[in-house]
Amino acid sequence: MRIEDSEQAEEAVSLAQQAEWQDITPIEQDEGEGSMCPIAYTDEYRELMGYLRAVMAVGEVSERALALTARVIEENPGHYTVWVYRKRLVEELESDIAKELDWVSEISSKFPKNYQLWHHRESLVTRLWAPSNAQSVSEDQRVTNPVLRRELQFLGAAIDEDSKNFHAWSYRQWLISTYALWTQELVFVDTMINQDVRNNSAWNQRYFAILANRDPSAVHFEADMAKSEIEYVVEHIKLAPNNDSPWSYVTGLLLRHAPSMLYTDLLPRIKQLAADNAYQAAMTLTPFYWSALLDIYEQQAADHPDTKKQLVEESRAICDQLASETDIIHCRYWNFRKTSLDTC
Amino acid sequence: MAETFATDAKLLVDKHVEFIQNLDKKQDRLEYWMTEHLRVSGIYWGLVVLFLLRRPHALDHEQIISYVLSCQNADGGFGGHTNHDSHLLYTMSSVQILAMLNALDRVDGLRVTKYVLSLQTKSPMTTVCGDKWGEHDTRFAFIALAILSFFNTQDQLDVSGVVEYVRGAMNYDGGFGSKPGGESHAAQVYTSVAALALAGRLDIVDRDRLSSWLAERQLPCGGLNGRPQKLEDVCYAWWVGSALDILQRRHWIQASKLASFVLSAQDEKGGIADRPGDVADVYHTCFGIAGLALVRYPGLEEVDPVYCMPRSVVEQLGLDKWQSNVPESWSQ
Repeated sequence: MRIEDSEQAEEAVSLAQQAEWQDITPIEQDEGEGSMCPIAYTDEYRELMGYLRAVMAVGEVSERALALTARVIEENPGHYTVWVYRKRLVEELESDIAKELDWVSEISSKFPKNYQLWHHRESLVTRLWAPSNAQSVSEDQRVTNPVLRRELQFLGAAIDEDSKNFHAWSYRQWLISTYALWTQELVFVDTMINQDVRNNSAWNQRYFAILANRDPSAVHFEADMAKSEIEYVVEHIKLAPNNDSPWSYVTGLLLRHAPSMLYTDLLPRIKQLAADNAYQAAMTLTPFYWSALLDIYEQQAADHPDTKKQLVEESRAICDQLASETDIIHCRYWNFRKTSLDTC
Repeated sequence: MAETFATDAKLLVDKHVEFIQNLDKKQDRLEYWMTEHLRVSGIYWGLVVLFLLRRPHALDHEQIISYVLSCQNADGGFGGHTNHDSHLLYTMSSVQILAMLNALDRVDGLRVTKYVLSLQTKSPMTTVCGDKWGEHDTRFAFIALAILSFFNTQDQLDVSGVVEYVRGAMNYDGGFGSKPGGESHAAQVYTSVAALALAGRLDIVDRDRLSSWLAERQLPCGGLNGRPQKLEDVCYAWWVGSALDILQRRHWIQASKLASFVLSAQDEKGGIADRPGDVADVYHTCFGIAGLALVRYPGLEEVDPVYCMPRSVVEQLGLDKWQSNVPESWSQ
């Protein structure tokens, strides 16, 4: 929880002393006798809330009310009710949406994980450029549209600040999906993965960009496409073999869209890597390599029952090794995996 | 298999009870009013702690009930505090509180149902929003199903539509995100799996792949993270543990190591933090203790993994019927 440093807070003139607000009597929070949850305030916030309650009570629509909501939100963006009022004001006052976006951007760096800020952004962007209008131009033109260019810049900065910000990535998915910015997204994802190969959000986004809103169950990868992804993954495994994301990505992807390529293509590539002097030690030590082998052998045995016996034997040995040496913290899981081999 | 907890650390029961009791006395702290908008959830978290620690009367029930009822708005939903707009999150906490305090009859279930149903949407896809402004998330899919189950009005929701939404949020790693396409995250996994349990569609889950993803959250230090390459955090003892419990794979997490981690994040003055050395808060105290209850740490009441409420309360209300939705093959 952020704790405001009152010494850093700007010295603001009290509303009670402003001529503009003389017509309003602030409404104090009625905590009631023996209230369960008496709330404490700093004096400034208390005053802001008092005036806000007063204007909300009469449903005032005015610039001063809008300015007041800004002040409250800047203190406490989690206060949901204030957002509701502000949204209504922005609409009824027909405020400049671009300016509103400016303001949202300004306070966003203070509150990167606040749901309301991102959601407010979404509604502003769709008002600035309706998705249905965007459909009529090419992706190149969409990307250079000032509204979207600004959003992509903003998102780039937010993700730069915190590369795993769940809200930022979620908003990004909404933007890319709504305005069909798929081609540029693949480039962005590649940049993010190269910046930090351990960024799971970026790997998830890669799948998102490749799928491009298609129903996964209806998508089958052509061999070229799957091979190219396998190569991409192997190159990034080299950078850090003991890294969950690329392993999870490639096994998940192939299982869904080209299962036989798990053993026809992925298997030889990772075995090759494990035999390579430069990577052998790291590959042997990482549970993800061995775990991938288990997944691959499972698929292979299912597709080619004649190979089952040998693969099960190898898999059993892998489970033992994982449980006793390579990945002891997850020994219960590996022991289960071993037992389930027997029941195949 | 019974778990043995090999740790010198103790659960500071009395201190945590005091911590909860003192929550509404910290009025000189700014953070107190900054969390006004979720006060109701704070009370729910506090009550879970007290109930699981077997000290349910450490707070005044009637006072809590009055306060919660004062948070209900004209639209039938509940806000996070008096005079705050309705939201599904706070409606859920309110209903959970009333259920635990045996006061569900003090609220008109049809009014609450109407509110929840008003949040259904068909655009961009069939799902449930958190509030009338349209944010959608697998959390809200779960919450809608859960709230309606309290009033036995689940069938008024487009359950199969909601199930499809949750299915759409299932990722290549077996996990679930906040919405279709979203990165798998343990908290979203819990809400998605719990939603499917309530809807009787646990068959959708890739049980093995998801269980393995969940087990993978345990780090060598014993603590759990919420997604790959992130830090361990006490609250995942609940988000991960509850999902594994529903999947009947609770034992894939090393309980003793997890317990040591959670206990080491206790503040000796009361409360539990996200990790050792940080400041305690009621949210982490709740989910740390609920996580311990899941792994049957001694001295704690049993907790229901779908509702995050004492099992005894859930059974009394007949809400344990989700268990009959668990695929038979899972119990073998």
